[in-house]
Amino acid sequence: MSTATIYNEEELVLLLKQQSREGFNYLYRQYGAVLYGVINKVVYDEQTAQDVLQDVFVKIWNNIDQYNPQKGRLYTWMINIARNASIDKLRSKGEIMKGKIRTGDDIVNNVQGMKSEQATDTIGLQKMVAGLKPEYETIITLAYFKGYTLDEISKTLEIPLGTVKTRMRSAIKQLREIFNN
Amino acid sequence: MNTREYIESGILEAYALGALSQQEAAQVAADVAMYPELRTELDAIENAMQAFTATFAKELPTGLDNKIWGALSYASANKGDVKSEPKVIPFTPEYRKPVRWQYAALWIGLVGSIATNVILWNRNSSDDAEKTALNYRMDKLQSEQKQLADLVSNYEKNKVMMADTGMQTIVMHTMQPGHPMAATLYWSKAKSEAYVNVDGLPQPPKGMQYQLWVMQDGKPVDMGVLPNNMASTPAMQKVNMSVTSGQAFAISLEKEGGSPTPTMQQIYVMGKV
Repeated sequence: MSTATIYNEEELVLLLKQQSREGFNYLYRQYGAVLYGVINKVVYDEQTAQDVLQDVFVKIWNNIDQYNPQKGRLYTWMINIARNASIDKLRSKGEIMKGKIRTGDDIVNNVQGMKSEQATDTIGLQKMVAGLKPEYETIITLAYFKGYTLDEISKTLEIPLGTVKTRMRSAIKQLREIFNN
Repeated sequence: MNTREYIESGILEAYALGALSQQEAAQVAADVAMYPELRTELDAIENAMQAFTATFAKELPTGLDNKIWGALSYASANKGDVKSEPKVIPFTPEYRKPVRWQYAALWIGLVGSIATNVILWNRNSSDDAEKTALNYRMDKLQSEQKQLADLVSNYEKNKVMMADTGMQTIVMHTMQPGHPMAATLYWSKAKSEAYVNVDGLPQPPKGMQYQLWVMQDGKPVDMGVLPNNMASTPAMQKVNMSVTSGQAFAISLEKEGGSPTPTMQQIYVMGKV
C-alpha cells in the first residue's frame, strides 16, 4: 500500500463501491479540497461548509451505485452533488431569497467583492482566472455557485434570455483559452 | 438538427453550469447522447469547468477526515443489517435457605405485580386506539413508499429509453398564444415506437381528454388519447400504436374518448420532426 497510488475514475468507482477506508482516504485526498472549495464559494461560512462537505461525502458514499459513467464523468457528478447540497443549504437559510429582493447591481457588487477576496490567494492559475471578464464571472457565479436559472439570471441582470446563453458560451470560451495554454 | 447552431446558442454551457430546468436539462442530455459533435463540445466545456473548479481547492481543516469517516461508518452501519452474535452469559445458581425478609419481599412483589396487571389491563383500551393510529400511519407510509417506488421505476424506464441513441426527441410547443405549454415526444423510427410526456400541459377539464396526432403528408392521423392523470406529471407513456412515418406531432384537447379528426382551434401543442 502506498500513498502515491493513482486510480482512474473507473477504479475509484469500484473502490468506493467496496466502501473501504482506503477508498475514502483516496477520495478525501484527491477531491476533498476541491469539493470543500466549491462549497465555500456557495455558502461562505466555514462551519456550514464543513457540515455540507460531510453531507456530500455521505451522499457520494451512499449513492455511488447510482452513478452512471455514460452520463458524464465522476468528477462532474461529485461537483454537482456538492453544488446542489450547498445551494440547498443556502436556500434553506433564506439567503438566496434575500439576495433576490436585492437589485441586480448589489449582486454584481457582491460578485466583485468575492473576486478580490479570491485574488488574495497566490496560486498562478487563480490569477489567470481572476483575469476572467467581470461580466463573465458574474454569470458563472450566479448560475454555477448560486443556482440561478437562465430565467432568473435574465431578470436579475436585465438582459435577454438568448444573451444570457451566448454570454455563458463566451465565458466558458475564455476559461477554455485560459486552461489550454 | 443543425449542431453548429445548437453549439453556438450556448445551451451546452447553460447545461454544464446547471442553469437549465429539469426538462430542458433532460432534453440536452438526450441531444448529447444522440450527436457525437455535441458530446465532444460538452467534454471540452467540462474540461474547462473541471480546471476552473480546481482553482478553488481549499485546505481542509485537520481532523475533518476522521469526523467524516465516522459519519460514513455510521451511515453504512445503518444502511445494512448489522447482526451481532448473541452473548452467552454462564449462570450457576447457588441455593441458600431463604430468610424471613426474603419471604416478605416475595409477598410485596406478588401484590405489586397484581396491581400492575390491573392498571395495565385498564390501559389496554387506550392502547387499542393508539394501535389503530399506528396502523393507519403504517398504511400511509406504505402507500407513500409505493408511490416513490413507482416514481423511481418510471425514471428508470425513462433513463433506459433516453439512452437509446436511435431515439429522436420532438418538443411540441404551444399553439395557443399567451399560454406557455409544452410536451415532449420520443420517437424511435427504427423500432416504430414512441413515448410521450405531457409535463407541461394543464389538467384537462372534466369530460375532456388529450389526444395525440401524427401528421402524415399533411393529414392528421389519430395516435390515441392520453390518460388524464398524466398531465402535469413527469410520467412517460408509451404510444399504443406503431409510428412508422410522420412530419410533425400534435396534441389537441378533445371530448373524452377522442375524436376522429382534431379540432383545429383546440390544438394545444405541436412540434415538427
